[in-house]
Amino acid sequence: MSLAVVGVSHHTAPVEVRERMAFGPSEAAEALLELRSETEVREAVLLSTCNRTEVYLFSANGPHVIQAWQSLLGGKAGRLERQVGDYLFEQRGEGVVRHLFQVAAGLDSLVTGEAEIQGQVRDAYELAASMPVDPPLAGPVLNRLFQMALSVGGQVRSETSIGEGAASVASVAVQLARKIFGSLKGKRVLILGAGQTGELIVEALDREGVQGVMVANRTYERAVGLAQQVQGHAIAMERLAEALGSADIVLSSTSAPHPILTQRVFREAFPGGLRRPLLMIDIAIPRDVDPAVGHDPEVFLYNVDDLRKIVDEQVRVREGAVPEADRIIQAQSEEFRTWFASLEVVPVIRKMRGRAEDLRTLELERLLRGMDHLSDGDRERVEEFSRRLTNKLLHDPTVRLRKGMGTGGGAELVEAFRFLYGLEDHNRPSRAARRSGEGRGDAGEPAGDGESKEKMGS
Amino acid sequence: MTHLLPLLLYSGAFVLWVRLLLRGARGQASLLASGVTGVAVFVHAVALGHFWLRYGELPLVGPGAALSSLAFVGGLALVAMLPLRDVGRVAIALLPFIIIVQAVALILGIQPSPMALDFQGTGFVLHVSFAFLGYQGLALAFAAGVLYLIQHHELKEKRLGRFFHFIPPLATLDKLARVGLWGGFVALTLALAFGWAWTVENRGSLEMSDPKVIWAVLSWLVFVGVLLARAGGGRNDYRGAVAAVVGFGVVVSTYLVLRITVGATGVFL
Repeated sequence: MSLAVVGVSHHTAPVEVRERMAFGPSEAAEALLELRSETEVREAVLLSTCNRTEVYLFSANGPHVIQAWQSLLGGKAGRLERQVGDYLFEQRGEGVVRHLFQVAAGLDSLVTGEAEIQGQVRDAYELAASMPVDPPLAGPVLNRLFQMALSVGGQVRSETSIGEGAASVASVAVQLARKIFGSLKGKRVLILGAGQTGELIVEALDREGVQGVMVANRTYERAVGLAQQVQGHAIAMERLAEALGSADIVLSSTSAPHPILTQRVFREAFPGGLRRPLLMIDIAIPRDVDPAVGHDPEVFLYNVDDLRKIVDEQVRVREGAVPEADRIIQAQSEEFRTWFASLEVVPVIRKMRGRAEDLRTLELERLLRGMDHLSDGDRERVEEFSRRLTNKLLHDPTVRLRKGMGTGGGAELVEAFRFLYGLEDHNRPSRAARRSGEGRGDAGEPAGDGESKEKMGS
Repeated sequence: MTHLLPLLLYSGAFVLWVRLLLRGARGQASLLASGVTGVAVFVHAVALGHFWLRYGELPLVGPGAALSSLAFVGGLALVAMLPLRDVGRVAIALLPFIIIVQAVALILGIQPSPMALDFQGTGFVLHVSFAFLGYQGLALAFAAGVLYLIQHHELKEKRLGRFFHFIPPLATLDKLARVGLWGGFVALTLALAFGWAWTVENRGSLEMSDPKVIWAVLSWLVFVGVLLARAGGGRNDYRGAVAAVVGFGVVVSTYLVLRITVGATGVFL
């Protein structure tokens, strides 16, 4: 059994390809069911966002499952310029753990440290966990892996500056507005001109609950069109001062060759002087707002260079936190590795105990056969003695084996253990195992038949 | 030792708030800093309660005991703010005032005053309690004003650094200063009224040249000035913040001047 992750991401495929391989929640559910029915994959979680579509697998027949997943992705994407496989990346074993932890922490995102991915990872896990199949797609291994990934994501964000500040012009604008006004509910926004960045800022402000968006443009018809897009209302350019007088946030991005919001307009808008904070975001080139307007203590004026500088600074802060985040991920990956390795010893220990139990009962029968004079009570005492002796002899090796798995060299230790206790014979289940019908794993452990090994991967 | 412990806890809480600021306002440190602040106020309450039970008088008379009570009122105001999102961070500016007041109280000695017999009755207790509330209201407006000016500076300079992330939004600070000023103004007005009534009832008349009276009236006038500065020509947050900082400075420096010049004679606080 091994772990693998296969998929496309912004590192390996352009958006034209990624968008064709993206899965909505219902599509993802269907894809997982198809994968299970075609390959009998043990566990699978499908993570699909605008930057990545990747499936996390825990299965016995890795190459077969991966092949099936590739076909599934290929079928979804349709005709592509290159083979599907050319866009795919694949990680196995410990690389999967590290990759998912990095994804959840936002280290693998297009914008380092973005927080949305954490929720997307949770959604992907919950979707797999909610699928009505048996055994569950988010079984013990992927359950543990995803829970740890979510925890790592939270830890990285709370203990480092990876998610600090805003890393896009729109989010910087919102952050500034929040630090000035607190809540943006009910704030009035005046938009001058149009542009993609401006629209993104308006969308971001809209999500914060601003109200009363006013749109002014050189041509009134264009203002009406823009106002419809942002659910605001258009105003004529002649009423600019009046609109400015009632605005809390001004967003300007016209292509006018000279400043529109001059000191004269400002004085006209605030004849008694400005008595409350006014945020002005001027992303026009050349600038729409006369820089002298920004000298008023209540005006917070930012031009495109200011915003870009802030974004660059924030990105630098986030990137500076990557080594610290990596250390957390490394430590947590190690913890998962230890846990995963401990799964490998479960069938070995079970088999060793079965073998010991066989020997104990065999020797006990032989002993008691020639001791018919013993009373039932004495027989029970002898049997109890044999049981306790066996348990005591096996206790230390069992504990040490479990402990040894966490300190590295686990595979060699298990091999040595098998050799020393003569457990290599794969074709002969123990008598005790036959008696109890063992062979399926307990809840919380991947099922093992005493022969198969759990592996992070090859 | 009973009164030293709250001072140590207030100082510890302040260090934690500073640490939070330096760490870029991340992690669980906010919870820890808030927790230690809360514990400090609780321990302070126990210490003052112990004083009351032990000496049979409220810690309102005598400079040491009175200052400790004043610091405690500041702590109470902080505890009230801690559950509000981000607002508790004003502790970084208010705690130094509380720490200094408590430290001075310890230096002067938190002990029963022989004057306590002369200063008794409900009117006196109300006078002092409202006066403490009034001064802490001004201290709160000062703390919010200081943070407002720093945040304003950061926004104007377009620096989104540690201070920017740590300090609450301007609107929040302005609201806090407004609550502190109006609450403090009402409390101090009541304190003056109760003080006047108590003095007339117990002493016959109010001596206007009494330094205590001068300071109290001047403090009240400072409140009026700061409130007018905020209201003059419409609401002006920035001017209000500056006025609160200056007003608090005037009240504290007047106290120090009076304390140094006439305090030694024993006729001042």
